Amino acid sequence: MAEPEVNLAKTYDGVIVGSGAAGGMAAHVLTSKGLQVLLLEAGKKLPIEQELRSMEWPYDNPQRGFLPPNSRSLSFNEYTIRNPPYGPGFEKSKKLYSYIGNSEYVKNIVVEERENPFTGTNYAWVRARCLGGKTNIWGRLALRLSDYDFKAKDRDGYGENWPISYSDIEPYYDQVDLYLGITGVKENLPYLPDSIFQRPTKLNCAEVTLKQGLQKMGRVLTQYRAGVTSDGLKHNKYRSRCYGRGACERKGGCDIHAAFDSPTGLIYPAMDTGNLTLRTNSTVREITVDTNTGKASGVLFTDSQTMKDYHVRAKVVIVAASTLESARLLLLSKSRLYPNGIGNSSGHVGHNFCEHVMGPGVAGRVKNLVGKPPTLDDGRPGGFYLTRFRNLAEKHPKFIRGYGFEGGSGSTMFPRGTDVHGFGASFKDEVRQNQGAYIGMGAFGEVLSRYENYVDLDPVVKDKWGVPALRFHYRFGDNEHRMAEDMKETAQEMFEAAGFEIMHVNNRVLTEGWSIHELGTARMGNDPKTSVLNQFAQSHDVKNLFVVDGSAFVNASCQNPTWTIMSLCWRSCDYLAEELKKGNL
Amino acid sequence: MSENDPIDALDLKQDRRQWLKTSATALGATLIPMPGVSTQTLQTESKPAASTAEAKSAGRFFTPLQHATVDELSETIIPADSHSGGAKAAKVADYIEQVVGQSIDESQKALWREGLRLIDVMSQHDHGETFVNLTPERRIAVLTVLSDHDHMAELPEVRFFKELKHLTITGYYTSKIGIHDELEYKGNRVLQEYVGCDDPGPATK
Repeated sequence: MAEPEVNLAKTYDGVIVGSGAAGGMAAHVLTSKGLQVLLLEAGKKLPIEQELRSMEWPYDNPQRGFLPPNSRSLSFNEYTIRNPPYGPGFEKSKKLYSYIGNSEYVKNIVVEERENPFTGTNYAWVRARCLGGKTNIWGRLALRLSDYDFKAKDRDGYGENWPISYSDIEPYYDQVDLYLGITGVKENLPYLPDSIFQRPTKLNCAEVTLKQGLQKMGRVLTQYRAGVTSDGLKHNKYRSRCYGRGACERKGGCDIHAAFDSPTGLIYPAMDTGNLTLRTNSTVREITVDTNTGKASGVLFTDSQTMKDYHVRAKVVIVAASTLESARLLLLSKSRLYPNGIGNSSGHVGHNFCEHVMGPGVAGRVKNLVGKPPTLDDGRPGGFYLTRFRNLAEKHPKFIRGYGFEGGSGSTMFPRGTDVHGFGASFKDEVRQNQGAYIGMGAFGEVLSRYENYVDLDPVVKDKWGVPALRFHYRFGDNEHRMAEDMKETAQEMFEAAGFEIMHVNNRVLTEGWSIHELGTARMGNDPKTSVLNQFAQSHDVKNLFVVDGSAFVNASCQNPTWTIMSLCWRSCDYLAEELKKGNL
Repeated sequence: MSENDPIDALDLKQDRRQWLKTSATALGATLIPMPGVSTQTLQTESKPAASTAEAKSAGRFFTPLQHATVDELSETIIPADSHSGGAKAAKVADYIEQVVGQSIDESQKALWREGLRLIDVMSQHDHGETFVNLTPERRIAVLTVLSDHDHMAELPEVRFFKELKHLTITGYYTSKIGIHDELEYKGNRVLQEYVGCDDPGPATK
């Protein structure tokens, strides 16, 4: 299907590359200030409600919600033993997806792996090339960072501080809360600031038991802080409030858009201003440069379907293609003026790549819930979040920084606990009696930002559109492995404190990339020699180039990044609009 | 193979173990290819029997007899009880037939053909009848041998049992009977308020 023609002859105030959390936010902020903006998305606009079908019963789906037989998603073992782009043994599968693409409801949202190859060290790189990107299927945990993160170097001497403090970003967190909606409970924690919460969902009984067990240890369990509107948003006609239908646990998005996604939360309202032009199927392959001024002049892109190339001009180029794709685009934009890629005089583009390490966790059974009548436990956006407790007041002897746990419990549509030994009447009965009694949690920990963890361009391999592939040089280090050991031990200790029967302890560290929280490949900082962007995500080298997604992060913290990406982006775009008005860009 | 001697129930397990051990070497080489044998070799080696061709022409993967066997196997894994229907009522065999029949993995198809054959070989050997003709107790006895040896994944019959159990569980708990009658799942409907747990008293110690 051909793209609707958009005016590529005019010079836009801004061209945004990417339509996920960052690109959507940039579109919202800039169009609300009256700027004329073109938003380019590499993937297509999906009929998203038809994809998600949040309330479809498994038995009403021919594949019971699983992938069709000619498709497959990669497993942990496959990521670990084979190098991408997945050669022999996979050729029979017509479609090959990352590990997240394992259901009928996600398969068209994530990319086909072989069309989008990458090389180097193993990495579970989850990409969603479609309008809204990964916000269509995100986990929705919406947390703030604090000065424990922004000024982490002051606390332990490692890495760099951010060029901003919590007080700089706090008003923007507030604006994001109010504009997009978030549910949760105030806890007054200095290391995990509260949001302006809408009505929270309740914990269930197993979770309350765990919370009480943790209180004795001085640890905090709180309701899942979800980027979901529980009270509704009067200013947004595209989103419904959450009305707690089941199946929120199912992988896939929310087809009533109570959970935030970039199209309904940001892009459609931005289009209603009349200031936003959207072009999907537009794979940006280069940021072009005006050789007289050294400034960015626009972008070169390929129509993903027709393969035709286009150039469009803009006063400001705003890169929001996701942490790794944004780094790739900067590196691809080589010219006489910028031989290492645009904005890369520091040599730091692609470096200081960081994220969250995950895998260790625990599953248990709450004995006094066994055999209780079935309850409804998954009609809510998430279970619980167990906040960081390491390296706050006391220094841990074996590692720096921290981790938190995400978890949940109770009945689910497909029962937990079918992996027990045996069969027959006793097996069936056991599954039924135990279905509401399970509780589990898994950790997310900070991966240190290190210069030697980086991506660059593969000299040979190209993607389906002829664009050089990304090559990974990335491994977890000693700090992550020592932290993972601790995660496993504390998870057990906390379940024991709550009196749960431990069914399974997971000590396997999942493949790099599993958290889908890639960050830091174009970090901000005050020193142009060691950072790519200033505190407003503006390139030190090229004044009218901004990189407004997760690449700007200085460290990963252990909190999920989406809310911070959007808050930083809002702040950067406020500055961008001011500077443009002043004629400084 | 047919052995009609009445077998002492207590000795049954011991005998099965012995049988399994010998079958691993005696039958292994001629059955499912061992790990390391490529699927291409498998495709050429496992010639479809005439009965399989019949099933194919009818647009099905299993022959009627194979289908009946899968029906009884799945029911043995998840039986009907006073609470709800079992795998048979939930038409799990149809689900399995769809998954295996549509699979692009030839080794999975071969595992089902050979696995079903092995089940009958075991049933004949131990009880003198094919699986479908056994009493429920004897069916349980046949599968108990495999379940008790589920660590011996090198044996095709054990691999088959694991696959059978896995697909039966998947098919059953995604069926109407599994979700609504058996588990009485409460979700996937509009809620005014998530109930949760205000007062921890009743649910905690």
